[in-house]
Amino acid sequence: MITSSEIKTLCAQAPDFDDIACGLNATKKAPKGMVAETRKVVAIARKFKQEVMQPYTLELDRRMQQDPEHLPWEFVQKANQWGFYSMWIPKSFGGQGYNIPSLSYFLEETASECLALANLIGVHYLAITSIFSTWNIGVISRLCGFVREGEKNNKPCLLSTAITEPNAGTDVEECELVDKGNITCIATKVSGGYVINGTKVFISNGHVSQWHIVIAYADARKPSENVVILAVQNGTRGFSFGRKEHKMGVKGCPASELIFKECFVPDDLVLADPEQHRKAKRAAKETGARFLDYTLAASRAGVSAFGTGAARGAYESALAFALKTEVDGKLLVNHEWAQSMLAEMYKNAALARLSYAEANHANGMYGLFSLLQIKPLYYYFKYLPMAIVDKWIVPFMRLPVATWLFQKLYLDGKKPEAFRRIAGWGSLAKFTGTDAGVKNCHMAVELMGQAGLRQDHKVEKMLRDAKLLQIYEGTNQLNRLNLFKCIAAGQHPQVKVFEYE
Amino acid sequence: MIAQNEPAVVTVTQTSYSSTDSVVPPATKTKEGSAPQKAAAKTGADNQGGDKELKMMAKAANEFALKQLAPNREENDKYPFGPYFADVVQKAFELDFFHIMLPEALNGMNLGISALSTVLESICREDSSLGGIIFTTVAAQEILRQAGADPALQRICDSQKAREFLIGLPVFNNPGEVRHLAQARWAAGQCTLSGRIEYMVLGGTAKQALVPVQTPGAAGFSYALVNMEEKGVRKSEPILSLGLHACPAVDVDFDGAKALPIGQEGQGGFYFDKMADRMHAAAAAMSVGQMKGSFREALDYAKKREQGGHAIINWSEVKMILANMAIKITNAEMILEKACQAADAQTPRWEAQSRAAALMIQEMACDVTTDGIQVLGGVGYMKDFGQEKRFRDAKHTQALLGIAPAKKIKFMNEML
Repeated sequence: MITSSEIKTLCAQAPDFDDIACGLNATKKAPKGMVAETRKVVAIARKFKQEVMQPYTLELDRRMQQDPEHLPWEFVQKANQWGFYSMWIPKSFGGQGYNIPSLSYFLEETASECLALANLIGVHYLAITSIFSTWNIGVISRLCGFVREGEKNNKPCLLSTAITEPNAGTDVEECELVDKGNITCIATKVSGGYVINGTKVFISNGHVSQWHIVIAYADARKPSENVVILAVQNGTRGFSFGRKEHKMGVKGCPASELIFKECFVPDDLVLADPEQHRKAKRAAKETGARFLDYTLAASRAGVSAFGTGAARGAYESALAFALKTEVDGKLLVNHEWAQSMLAEMYKNAALARLSYAEANHANGMYGLFSLLQIKPLYYYFKYLPMAIVDKWIVPFMRLPVATWLFQKLYLDGKKPEAFRRIAGWGSLAKFTGTDAGVKNCHMAVELMGQAGLRQDHKVEKMLRDAKLLQIYEGTNQLNRLNLFKCIAAGQHPQVKVFEYE
Repeated sequence: MIAQNEPAVVTVTQTSYSSTDSVVPPATKTKEGSAPQKAAAKTGADNQGGDKELKMMAKAANEFALKQLAPNREENDKYPFGPYFADVVQKAFELDFFHIMLPEALNGMNLGISALSTVLESICREDSSLGGIIFTTVAAQEILRQAGADPALQRICDSQKAREFLIGLPVFNNPGEVRHLAQARWAAGQCTLSGRIEYMVLGGTAKQALVPVQTPGAAGFSYALVNMEEKGVRKSEPILSLGLHACPAVDVDFDGAKALPIGQEGQGGFYFDKMADRMHAAAAAMSVGQMKGSFREALDYAKKREQGGHAIINWSEVKMILANMAIKITNAEMILEKACQAADAQTPRWEAQSRAAALMIQEMACDVTTDGIQVLGGVGYMKDFGQEKRFRDAKHTQALLGIAPAKKIKFMNEML
């Protein structure tokens, strides 16, 4: 009926079978242990939600409205005690080594209760993702070591990622735009390191983080070819915190201004710069694009999980209200129109979840953590005692050969299709999940009427919180364009994206 | 500001929705009839005079919004964690913004819903909290008038201070749908209240409130007017809410508080519906104001902010968002204008038109103010601009007079 050659040819036609079947392809390769592990993560998240978050969510939001300068150290401390800041750091870097897709389920669970608190944990992993995107194994290993140390010493060590600048938001999220953007955060090469000058704004978790992963540029005339990624610790001379933004929602998670004035960063804290990749067989711009694609493909799946959590939280609150409130003489939940609205909300959350799951499958197959999901490696690290990891693996990771090996595998060895696929699914999941979150919060407030307006009934807070998700990690408009770039630009030469009309 | 000789009706070509734009329908003929009808009739009785009065109202409201509301919008929004803007409310009172629909006998201006809508739209473009205060008080006045409680209203209208003039009302609930009712022992001339009323708007700031109550002798609910300083009235702290922060609400517990029965026992639903017929158009006007404010802020920002080396207004994706906002606003203007005209003239099915206008325009306002934040990106999410407040206020406003989907079902039921 059909030859194998025909199958190959026909499945490569648009849409490429491998683009639309990431989950199907991944399932046969994924270690079975991931399922049990993810189930455990969900249970841990629910326990944490019930014991720690639920008594605290509304109180924190109220307190932040009263005193916007408050910082939620007490929660950060708790999350640290529960081990959440090292839970998804690979064992080979000293972390607990839970599989990365399970982080999304954890974020959905926690976000269904409070997006601010979920961000206080999840945003740390955006920074972890951004350092891994450089594959500078020595620096990554050191930074992860600080996180683990902070957990042992009960002194939380969080990382933040600093990308957005006062006059460049969307521009710095897209390689095709950054060269035309108004870039002002510059890292100048000096003997022994770099000197940063400039300001970063809206940096989530800034004020509660000890390390900041700063994406700066060595040359403002051509930022795309001059990406410099540096780790800056609190207390470094020339670095200071500016204002803490007063936001509509997600109030418990600070959005910070980071100010750099002649801030010197030594070479051993430089994760990436043009010099490190001078000999690579690709354009310098392509290296910067790969950093971004790796980071955003993973982090946008996480933001989608936040959106899914918001969508689910809104549904659950609306359902609880409908189960106990009479409208026109009978329980709201027994009005057909209300059942239909609730079903629609459930569907929105379910589809949002599928979108981040598929993005995670793409990342597991082609992205940042693909190595960790290869069965032998997964089980090897899962059951390897930490003592052996500490004695042999961690020291190996700090050798230059480790960086050489991983950069060969991940920066040189990956095909453009891999980046197109993970970036496309990351963007799709981001705007699908976050649009669902906002939509459901709107619906919940509508369904609850007067009760939905009150902070003490929570859904109004969910709506305020959810709106941020459509803006950060690239606006949903940018993500739609990025998806289109990934699905169409390579196949149709006449397609031009991010070009001024 | 609107000059006296400028046309009062905004045409679709004026799409900047600046503070000078306002929907002021031309005065129309009205029928003689009930008290509200007589109030509305003033615009019809003297077309030229009515138009002139409307223009003056529009001018006064615009100036007031720009001078008194816009500069302190973020500060006023901090309530209950910041001071209440009592001085601003007093100034609005002195400008007769609360008297628009009252008859002259009650010191009112005897104007129709068009005039009220004009004022609400202008005010809500800058800060909807004051709009909420006006809306609540006028809604309570309407119920009192529908119930024929003019003597009680007369006593309130003799007040010279805003606080004594304002009337609390749980204006985000239709007590006929969700029966949040206090209990009352009904007797001619006085009743005694017990139980709890949730989310009594202005309950903590107005001297009196109109309370929906259940009486033992009637299936339907009734209304009672209570002095909020009366013994047996216990008010909660101001409720932290989504929007309209400076239009505060409280939960109220009654324990033997004396109150004045309003209208006939068991007829509260009738009074509420009559009030709601007219006030839906006023609620729609609030939403139109929020939309216009959001669009103006978004457009101003889009002209200044650059992306990829060009002002973002020149990127077609942003232009499309703005276009969709503008199209919705232009449609909302037309719908509101028609609804106000119909309500004032009491043309056939004006009640349905008023309600339909509100349901449609409130949804549009939620969409437009959501996009209004999006155009500004991260900046729009911050307290420094008015966008995030308009987003919250628009959603809050959608809940006026009851649960939004339930209002749609009611609309359909009325047609059957």
